[in-house]
Amino acid sequence: MKNYASKWIMQRLTAVILIPLTFWFVYQCVLLSSYEYDQIKSFFFSKINASLFFVLIIAMLYHAKLGNETIVEDYVTSVNLKKITKLSISVLTYSSMILTTISLFYIVSS
Amino acid sequence: MSLNRPLSPHLSIHKKVLTAVFSIFHRFTGICLSLGAILLSVWIILIALGPDYYSKFQSLSSLIFFKIFLFLWTLTIFYHLYNGIRYLFWSYGKMMELSTVYKSGYVVIILSIISTMLVWISI
Repeated sequence: MKNYASKWIMQRLTAVILIPLTFWFVYQCVLLSSYEYDQIKSFFFSKINASLFFVLIIAMLYHAKLGNETIVEDYVTSVNLKKITKLSISVLTYSSMILTTISLFYIVSS
Repeated sequence: MSLNRPLSPHLSIHKKVLTAVFSIFHRFTGICLSLGAILLSVWIILIALGPDYYSKFQSLSSLIFFKIFLFLWTLTIFYHLYNGIRYLFWSYGKMMELSTVYKSGYVVIILSIISTMLVWISI
C-alpha cells in the first residue's frame, strides 16, 4: 500500500482545477460538435482556447484514472484481475495523454 | 445447506438510502465520463489527422442519436460536477449535518437539470 494520501489529495486538486474548466468547456463542446472543420481549427488557433483545453484534458484523464483505480480497489477482489484492470487503466490514460498532447501541438502549429 | 442464501450486508432488504444512491451514481457517472474523456482524445486526434478523417466524425455527429448522447453527456457531467463540489465540502468536514446532506443532494439534482437546460437553450 503506497501513498494513498497523495492520491487522495491529487483527486481533489484535479477536481478543483476541473470545476471552472468544465463550465467553460461543456458549453464550447456542444457548440463545437456542429462546427465545420475550419471553424474548429480556428477555435484551437486561439492560444487561450488551446491552453485551457490542454489543461482540461490532462486534468480530466488523470482525475478519471484516480477515480477508476479507487473503484477497482473497492470492488475487485481477485489480485490478478486487479493488476490487469489497473494496468489497462494506466495504459489507456497515458496513451490518451500522449496522443492528445501531440495532436494538440500539431493543430496549434499547423 | 443452501448456497443461495443471501449474503451480508443484505443489500436487497435494506431501504435504499439517498446518500448511498448518490455515491453509487457518482461512481457510475465517473466511469461513463472516463469513456467520454477518451472519446474527447479521439476527437482531438481526428482533428489533427485532417479534414478527411474528421468527416468520419461529422457523419456520426450529424445523427440525432449523437445529439441525444451529447445531451446525456452534459447532464452526466453537471451531476458529477455539482455532486463532486458537495464531496469537496465533505472533505473539509463542512455541510455534513444530515439535514444539509439531504438538502444539498436535492440541490445537486436541480442544478444539474437547470444547467443542462441552460446550455441547450442558449445554443
